[in-house]
Amino acid sequence: MARPHIEPFVDRDVGFKQMTLPGFRKGIHFKMLSIDKDNGSCTMTVQYEPGFKQPPGFSYSELELFVQEGDLKIGNKVYGKGTYVFAPSGTALPAMSSQKGALCLAFYNFGPPSFEESDANHDKADDTQQLKIISSYDGLDWQVPTLFPQTAPGCLLKILHIDPKTFGMTFLYCMTPGFWQDNISYHDVAEEAYHIWGTSWMMQFGDLPTGGYFYRPAYINHGCFASDLGILAIGRTDGDLHNYFHHDPFSTPEENHERAAAKLARMKPALYQWILTHEHNHLPHDFEFPDDTYNTDDYDSGIHMHADGTSHSHKHSGSHSHLNTPKVSRKKNR
Amino acid sequence: MTLGSTTIRGNLRPKMTKDEAAWVKQELAEQIDRYKKIVQEMEALTPQREKWVADFLHRIQTRGYHVHAGNRRVIPKNEIRPRDGRPLQVVY
Ligand SMILES: [Fe+2]
Repeated sequence: MARPHIEPFVDRDVGFKQMTLPGFRKGIHFKMLSIDKDNGSCTMTVQYEPGFKQPPGFSYSELELFVQEGDLKIGNKVYGKGTYVFAPSGTALPAMSSQKGALCLAFYNFGPPSFEESDANHDKADDTQQLKIISSYDGLDWQVPTLFPQTAPGCLLKILHIDPKTFGMTFLYCMTPGFWQDNISYHDVAEEAYHIWGTSWMMQFGDLPTGGYFYRPAYINHGCFASDLGILAIGRTDGDLHNYFHHDPFSTPEENHERAAAKLARMKPALYQWILTHEHNHLPHDFEFPDDTYNTDDYDSGIHMHADGTSHSHKHSGSHSHLNTPKVSRKKNR
Repeated sequence: MTLGSTTIRGNLRPKMTKDEAAWVKQELAEQIDRYKKIVQEMEALTPQREKWVADFLHRIQTRGYHVHAGNRRVIPKNEIRPRDGRPLQVVY
């Protein structure tokens, strides 16, 4: 993970810049929210000017687009605020235009922003069946999260996209007026969010208003939480979201990481034992996805990235050896 | 995001063009400045944050700590881990 911890950042505090990358049409302005130093993947607030026009085309990177305000015509249909677009890499979108302008969020997930004019998909386009356009405000209902443990009552979700392999997800969430949650949370995955409307408060970072954003690498404490008037926000994770709750405001990401591993050993001892007893420096083979070749060395493990691109790892608080035949003891319930 | 179902094909042009590399370099330089500003702002919030933390520790020992959804548990004093001089770092 090569994006730094950006939290909190409020995009209303900075001006728009013109998009100058080749391929893009005139009339696109952006504010950078966070960018990855290795592959240029990024999240941006994007303003399309009134009268903006773009021919059919694709992005080389997987792209997600969310309309906050204004109108965006995609193909023959005009979409309004709350529209969410998911376009796998190389999947061509129809011509786009905006009559009155549109304020959006753009997520280029695996590479820098790009636009290649084309009315056909790229030869190697990813699973084009995943292309979707959702009217999230009037087309989806708010759900109580089904995670365990769950956030406090008054935090509701609309799931926009779930990655079928990693369970990384993109979702709208809201906090009802008077929301409060008295615990501290962290996750195994990076989390980013943007406030479409409203202000919430976290014990570490204070108030996050409309236009507020964070990109938070794994295992960083956040919470407790509160919101007087409620919020509407869009959030994303890059993997399965588990809420690790606790009440130690001073714990470090390294301690949190180790605690998560201890929980895995406790909650999934068979899996934990398997990982210990097999070679674990590569992705285990998955008969469902036999061609997967990525390896987890790319992922942050005890190493976090600073904005200047430096990183450092931390020693474990306890020593461990990789045994060939570890024993994971388990209390028998009966 | 780095890992994903599309890790191999999630970017069909993994080697950046010259223009892209220059654009990314400029954006990264600006990101460093934003990060430094955030660190300063969060540093300035420290006295206020210390009060928020004290309030939180008081509330979970009186009103309760959210274990799951609306379920709360009052935390006994002996379950509050001593601070032992640990700093309160929030940005990493
Ligand atoms: Fe979270």
